[in-house]
Amino acid sequence: MDAPLLAIENLRTYFYSRAKRAFIRSVDGVSLGVTRGETLGIVGESGSGKSVTALSAAGLVTAGPGVISGRIHLNSNGASRNLLDGLEKYARVTEQDGRVVAVEKDERGWRRRSETLMAGVRGKEIAMIFQNPRSALNPYSTIGKQLVETIRLHTNLKRESEARERAIHWLDRVRIDSPRLRFDNFPFGMSGGMCQRAMIAMALSAEPSLLIADEPTTGLDATIQSRIVDLLAELKAETGITTLLISHDISVIQRLSDRIAVMYGGTVVETGRAAEVLAPEAKVRHPYTAALLASIPSAETIRRKSYLQAIEGEVLDTIEVPRGCRFYGRCNRVTEAIRENCAGLEPPLGEVAPGHKVRCWLYPSPGKA
Amino acid sequence: MKLAAIRPVSRALARELAVTALLLLGVSVVVFAILYLAPGDPLNVLLEGQSPRSQLALGMREALGVPQTWYGQYAAWFGKMLQGNFGNSIRTGLPVLPELARVGVYTLTLTLGSLALTLLIAVPIAVHAAAHGGTAGNTAATLAAYVLSAVPVFWFGYIVVYVFIHQFGMFPLISGTAAKQEHAWLYFLVPIFVLGIASGTLSEMIRHLREELSRVLAEDYIRTARAKGAPVWRHAFKEGFLIPVTEIMSAKIPFLLGGAVIVEQVFNWPGMGRMAWQAAQDRDFPVIMGIALVAAAFVRLGNLLQRVVFTAVNPRASRE
Ligand SMILES: Nc1ncnc2c1ncn2[C@@H]1O[C@H](COP(=O)(O)OP(=O)(O)O)[C@@H](O)[C@H]1O
Ligand code: SF4
Ligand SMILES: [Mg+2]
Repeated sequence: MDAPLLAIENLRTYFYSRAKRAFIRSVDGVSLGVTRGETLGIVGESGSGKSVTALSAAGLVTAGPGVISGRIHLNSNGASRNLLDGLEKYARVTEQDGRVVAVEKDERGWRRRSETLMAGVRGKEIAMIFQNPRSALNPYSTIGKQLVETIRLHTNLKRESEARERAIHWLDRVRIDSPRLRFDNFPFGMSGGMCQRAMIAMALSAEPSLLIADEPTTGLDATIQSRIVDLLAELKAETGITTLLISHDISVIQRLSDRIAVMYGGTVVETGRAAEVLAPEAKVRHPYTAALLASIPSAETIRRKSYLQAIEGEVLDTIEVPRGCRFYGRCNRVTEAIRENCAGLEPPLGEVAPGHKVRCWLYPSPGKA
Repeated sequence: MKLAAIRPVSRALARELAVTALLLLGVSVVVFAILYLAPGDPLNVLLEGQSPRSQLALGMREALGVPQTWYGQYAAWFGKMLQGNFGNSIRTGLPVLPELARVGVYTLTLTLGSLALTLLIAVPIAVHAAAHGGTAGNTAATLAAYVLSAVPVFWFGYIVVYVFIHQFGMFPLISGTAAKQEHAWLYFLVPIFVLGIASGTLSEMIRHLREELSRVLAEDYIRTARAKGAPVWRHAFKEGFLIPVTEIMSAKIPFLLGGAVIVEQVFNWPGMGRMAWQAAQDRDFPVIMGIALVAAAFVRLGNLLQRVVFTAVNPRASRE
């Protein structure tokens, strides 16, 4: 297997909470790889650090201190580059017992450096779509103009008329009716689903190597959500584009992903092939993944209109990170044998089967005690 | 501009012009009523203090063809005004309209010049603060601007005059027109500078532009622009710059006109403000009416510009 298209290594992205005078450890040592052609789904409750991971990869984190450590390798067009190259020169991180206690970062210097590194990458190699497509499109410009801008920036179609034809072609490919008419529409005159289609067309029109879709169905009506999922599946089959898909909705992730990473409290707690991680009869499963799966309403519960089973307890705020397992406070599978470990020692992300890793003391990886 | 966008703009323009016409009518009635009710009769000026109730005054009224009732007077004025005749100044006997045009150019230069100067200072500070957050540099600049804006304009003007007399030994006797004086350009620019700095407009302009631009830069669609590798300014320009700039300009024109009256006094600037001052002392009704209308029209012009720009760039406004 060749090098993954995108490899994130030990990424840490922190923010500073002035009110609490402490770091928000939004992304706290995340490693992920997206192989060429696959769809990697990141799932987790809202606040688990999925978006910040994606924004870090795209160099779009604006608040401070932001990305403080890690490497993000992008291997495309035969070249490999680290999108965080030289970061250590701008951020000095002081650790104590493996925890970050102080960060001194030249944020302005880093932003300038990051802009240089991201030039030619953002929009071109890595394209993004977001939630709430109606506010993600520029309300002061027609969708046609916004597509043409992307095409002229990132493809060799520089002439307005050529770019226009290509834009209409893309609007057609995302199944927008009468694309020639829609070309001159402003976003405010279009439905949320239509806007998301336009966003997808705009992202793909740059012919990127990687598509990051951050909650592409969130904020849309239920029926529209499933149409957007269908569209993403169809486009995936047609173009084979490598995708990093993010959603709090495990059913969306289930439908579109080849591999899955489950995030909780700024860390990856389980990762592996989708079939394996989500298999109904799986013997090895992180308690958090199990809870997420249990929250999917079954056909039975939908018929009886009973309430969704929410996971008990609050999402970790990542300001006061516990010493032990981050899920300890909400976990219902702690046994007496491992309680001491769960409470006092963060479990490693151990490989339980080839390509399947779980961060839980219940599953000591083979070879280790 | 696309053809589709021209219709809403012309509709907005027509509406604004209609509002302006109504407003000017209202202003003329109100000002006329105030003048009529206020103590003091223009005839006093002509008669230079001789008993106004005398036969002489009545004869004078008749000779001048002044109607007896106030509505008669207003109707007479209005009828002539529609034909472009604003009457003659009671003091100088010169026709009001050409006089207004002559001094109006000076006031326009003063207010528009100071507006341009305010923008020239406010825009870089506001844009820098919005783009980079509060740095030491732009915080200091903003603070300085706030302090200057809090200084009363007449006071700042007198300080400047004082500095000129004592430090440079020169005094701008009549600025603006003094083309033949030495340092004429200085006498020309100093009043513009004073009004631009100290009219109280500067701080509000910085605040409005900074807040609006910061708000827009945090919008989702700007994040999209960055994510697709497009220049942020191209996307932030309309909502984050063009609209707030025209908004604050049109909102501040009345204050600048008020400030101009004072600056024209302090610096002997031969503009409308000084003429208004003089006319008020003389109860020179035709001149006062003319100035009130021109000033109101100027203020409306700012509003009109703002509405037209807003309608032209905002697709939502176009469809309403
Ligand atoms: N710009 C920011 N400033 C401060 N905190 C932030 C910022 N962006 C995200 N966070 C915090 O980081 C955590 C993870 O956020 P996010 O990655 O958006 O979660 P999600 O998994 O729902 O996408 C949350 O607690 C959120 O409040
Ligand atoms: S390590 Fe312990 S607390 Fe954490 S998920 Fe596993 S069993 Fe639960
Ligand atoms: Mg999110």
